[in-house]
Amino acid sequence: MGHAIEERSEAQWRLAMTRFVGAVPHARALGLEVTAVSPRLRMRLPWQADLLGDARRGLVHGGVLTMLLDTLCGSAVLRELPAPEVCPTLDLRVDHFRPGVAGQDLWGEAWVVRLSEAVAFTEGLIWQTPERPLARGIGNFARLGARNTPPGFAEALFADPEPTP
Amino acid sequence: MTHDPRQAWLAETHAHGDIAAWLDAIPYARRLGIEPVGSGFAPLYRLAPKPENIGNPLLPALHGGVVAAFMETAGLLELMRVGESPRLPKLIDFAIDYLRSARVVPTLARCEITREGRRLANVSVVAWQEDEARPVARARLHALLVSPEG
Repeated sequence: MGHAIEERSEAQWRLAMTRFVGAVPHARALGLEVTAVSPRLRMRLPWQADLLGDARRGLVHGGVLTMLLDTLCGSAVLRELPAPEVCPTLDLRVDHFRPGVAGQDLWGEAWVVRLSEAVAFTEGLIWQTPERPLARGIGNFARLGARNTPPGFAEALFADPEPTP
Repeated sequence: MTHDPRQAWLAETHAHGDIAAWLDAIPYARRLGIEPVGSGFAPLYRLAPKPENIGNPLLPALHGGVVAAFMETAGLLELMRVGESPRLPKLIDFAIDYLRSARVVPTLARCEITREGRRLANVSVVAWQEDEARPVARARLHALLVSPEG
């Protein structure tokens, strides 16, 4: 059965989030990394030339920011749930304040504004330089409930780490 | 008049509707496997079902953010293609509604330029897989139309 969220330590959450993101093939392929789980979930996407949307002007693709916000906001939901539950994105809105530039890592944070019985309402922010946000995201996620969550989901996230050989 | 090579390139590719040339300058779109399908009046755009584009490995389903990036790219390319003058669209905002989970099969997108003003444009994009009547997502975006000289 599900465990109350208080029972998990910060270290356990960090490992669980790292596993959750590591299980997303697109995020893994780009090397997305969980850098903090509190006070807010934070991730870093290392700079790579494939992130460009305008190679001539050296600007990051807007869709990279959308992809990051979807991943960040969806992962932030996990932490707020009484027990891990599958929550697909219902909708996502991204405002592009300024373009990202070549050569710098992308950072992002996301948080849950309100968790209702059926929906998780989230927000997120992406930046390269602190205090100069590139984009804001607003994402809503549907809670599918324990019934539609694969058995063993929580156990896989919170299993003790394998001893390193 | 200054002769900016970027403006000349844009004018040349715009005259020919050379979507492939524009895609060459969009590394993330190439990485995702985005390409135009068909030619002439209203091309569609296609997202390749690459394993790397998966978000949920259990279903499996494409990453929602990848589907969004695909639809955004399609919308902006379509704006460049049908625009009366050769200008670059700068994304202002983007919104997507997810209607069905996107399976790991080819995804198609059709764009409609809902408004093209002097500086601002609005584009609607619908994406589907096997059946256009059963879309996986609908999106809309606003873009600022700028000259690359600016």
